[in-house]
Amino acid sequence: MILGLYTAFAAGPFLWVATMSVRTTTEISLDHYAWPEQWHWEKFPIAWFKSNYNVYFENSLLVVLSAVAVLTVIGAMAAHCFARYRFRANRLLYFIIFSAIIFPPQITIIALFQILVQYGLYNSLPGLTLVYIAVQLPLTVYILESFFARIPSDLFDAARIDGYSEWQIFWKVSLPIALPALATTVILNTILLWNEFLYAVVLITDDAKRTLPLGIQRFMGDQLEDVGMIATGLMIAIIPVVLIYAFFSEKLIQGMTAGAVK
Amino acid sequence: MATVVLKQLSKRYGGSESLAVDSVSLEVEHGEFMVLLGPSGCGKSTTLRMVAGLESISSGELAIDARRMNDVPAKDRDIAMVFQSYALYPHMTVLDNLAFGLRRRGIAKPEIERRVREVAETLGLSEFLKRKPHALSGGQRQRVALGRAIVRDPKVFLFDEPLSNLDAALRVGMRGELVKLHHRLGATMIYVTHDQVEAMTMGDRICIMNGGKVAQIGAPLEVYRRPADTFVASFLGSPPTNLIPARFNSEALHVGEAKLAFSRKSSVENVLFGIRPEDIRIDGANPHAHGEVLAVEPLGAETILRLRVAGVAADVMLRGPRTVSAKVGERVPLAYDIAAAHLFDPQTQQRI
Amino acid sequence: MTRPSVDRQPWGAILAFLLPVFTVYAAFTAYPVLRTFWNSFHRVLPRNEEYLGLANYAELVRDDIFWRAVQNTFAWACISPLAEVSIALLLALALYARIPGMRFFRIAWFTPVLMSYVVVGIIWVWIYNYDWGAANALLRWLRLENLVQAWIGDPRIALPSLIFITTWMWTGFNMVVLLAALHSLPSEVIEAAELDNCGWGAKLWHVIIPLIKPTLLNLLVLSFIGKMKIFDLVWITTKGGPLWSTETVSTYVYKRAFEWTSFDLGYPSTIAAVWFVIVLAAVLGLTWLLRTRDRLEY
Repeated sequence: MILGLYTAFAAGPFLWVATMSVRTTTEISLDHYAWPEQWHWEKFPIAWFKSNYNVYFENSLLVVLSAVAVLTVIGAMAAHCFARYRFRANRLLYFIIFSAIIFPPQITIIALFQILVQYGLYNSLPGLTLVYIAVQLPLTVYILESFFARIPSDLFDAARIDGYSEWQIFWKVSLPIALPALATTVILNTILLWNEFLYAVVLITDDAKRTLPLGIQRFMGDQLEDVGMIATGLMIAIIPVVLIYAFFSEKLIQGMTAGAVK
Repeated sequence: MATVVLKQLSKRYGGSESLAVDSVSLEVEHGEFMVLLGPSGCGKSTTLRMVAGLESISSGELAIDARRMNDVPAKDRDIAMVFQSYALYPHMTVLDNLAFGLRRRGIAKPEIERRVREVAETLGLSEFLKRKPHALSGGQRQRVALGRAIVRDPKVFLFDEPLSNLDAALRVGMRGELVKLHHRLGATMIYVTHDQVEAMTMGDRICIMNGGKVAQIGAPLEVYRRPADTFVASFLGSPPTNLIPARFNSEALHVGEAKLAFSRKSSVENVLFGIRPEDIRIDGANPHAHGEVLAVEPLGAETILRLRVAGVAADVMLRGPRTVSAKVGERVPLAYDIAAAHLFDPQTQQRI
Repeated sequence: MTRPSVDRQPWGAILAFLLPVFTVYAAFTAYPVLRTFWNSFHRVLPRNEEYLGLANYAELVRDDIFWRAVQNTFAWACISPLAEVSIALLLALALYARIPGMRFFRIAWFTPVLMSYVVVGIIWVWIYNYDWGAANALLRWLRLENLVQAWIGDPRIALPSLIFITTWMWTGFNMVVLLAALHSLPSEVIEAAELDNCGWGAKLWHVIIPLIKPTLLNLLVLSFIGKMKIFDLVWITTKGGPLWSTETVSTYVYKRAFEWTSFDLGYPSTIAAVWFVIVLAAVLGLTWLLRTRDRLEY
């Protein structure tokens, strides 16, 4: 019974938004908690086109997908290297990257602002993408390194004897085996960057370049009372995440929690 | 010290068609060392856990000292168990591991101290009392697990394959220790294992289980010499009993191409002739059959021959003293010790 | 975990593997950190920089708002983890006893974690709305009108209201982790405790909790770090108000850098630099304090 209450507690708010997203604001003002009488599906296209949501969505998609793609590849390369080669600076270099997880964003954000302005990347999606890559690297390397390290070294020795070059070993041995972990980091990074707000709010000001979280926030400022429209906008933001979650929940939960269980 | 009586004990896991334990009936006497022996998955551990109270009983009755125990929770049954993985509390010192159960039962501190020191003395653990399990070797951990059980002074001791995680040399040593322990404490012990050597050397009686059912209960030598069915016959002994299809008509038994005089009668015509490798001799004087040597395994103290006997499909194993010498391909004369052999009904697998 | 023990390391490959990562890291993480420290000693205006020595730092010490923000952030980072983890533990124990529908619950409770802080923020602004928000609506429905509040409008309870939100968000995550930890406990040790006359309470206290202590501590530290960084949620809901009662260091830095009348980036850099040191010290201190002395091998 307690469980039921808590579930209502955890999931309740989302259901509320979901219902509001298909009602008009006038309807909502009358009764905030009623079940929709008329399902105003047309609100979604309105939000999508009239309120620029399609632009925001595309921007987010572009930035997040490119960032995650690059991030995964170079992160895997580094993780593979840290996990499988022994050299003196190994632990030190790993620590340098890993420790960045603790850094509060403030320590870099002001300077990043300055740098991007200096190089003309301010208020640009490529600039934001680069920053996103840097932001998620430590976590990615951390997760992948522990996974790569668990691959039995016999496989690598066998590959070496078979004449594979180091790069081939990476591509043909490490990556395929680590596919589950890679999948997890891809999903994780995608969700985290999809929802990312701080860096975006600092580094992007053009409405045309806003990512989805910024778009929603702008909405909040713009149309404070249009609760119905905002709800619709929220649903647009939530649905991709829910979809990913619905398909990959087990993997995702495993990946996100793997580091924390000792 | 107590008696343990299992009457038609069965265990069915929810949603499963078959019974993990099927109508097991067993009576363990005061101070007896009873071994439950069988291959993996035969239900012996499940049976033990039902006695312990860690598994619920699906049907049947369990009584310890004539008291019905089916619904009594594990902690109130006054039993102690030594687990295969030792199950020591990793975060507590050896001393705390030993004392924990006593403290939980509200026994007075001086009494706890006395018992713990005594048991530690006996098991040679006195210098390890302040250590934690991860700082001990496998053998030491096992002794702590043992000590934890002894210190409780329970009515019944239960052992779940305690020696399987030790290396061979340690195992032999511990076997002797456990037997000595049993004699000293005179306690009732039920011991589960899949290792027949352990069963034969340690048990007062052995209960052999197969597929959830009891195959046979008896003293080690009795079970060895007079197996109740083919399973028992092949499970005990290494190499296992030769089971040769044979025909029985009027007074003679036809084994392969040999004709043997057999005193015991059989109602069934097609039988399995069961004879242990050590009951076959190389005998030039009065051979029953001839065999061609396929392989020779000289083990030092004895020699094992793998033979092909005319008219017999499967290989026949012979176990002889070290004086036996033969070459591969050689034809040797064989004599069967018929008195020690048994006939089995191929349909029921039972001894005739 | 063995590594190739060739004396000649394939340096070319190693370099190739690490170069991209470290280039990005150097350019977008390491360099900015250094630049921020540099900034902290200057007044940084759009067109010129002026060296100030320690003047910014001196001003920081006197800055009441900063210290208020630090206080708020620390309070958040200390209270929220404790709430999140303890509630999560209770829930995990409840699920551990194998209630039917486990998987469904797990998934449902994990959902808040995945949502953007922006989304969460807006939803809770609505929940906390004085007139029609769910919180007050519920109270009125339960006839507890005297408890109706302006949850995020009242400086006295704004911060606790926000802390409540993060607890709502993260308890699910902690619960899932703890559940995994509970399931990884060796069942035979718990059975041994059963035979040692331990009821549920005793088993919990003497055996289960000590064995999952590493995970518990891990979660606490993780949560602590997360709360020290918090920005998005505050920005969407209260923007640090009312009256600085929910101001966190991160929101303050943002305001000083991008929403202040002077366009000086030096002072906020100082705040960032000092905060960086504080966070590192706090995390190091916390880990040292909570370190488990022995490895619990099982």
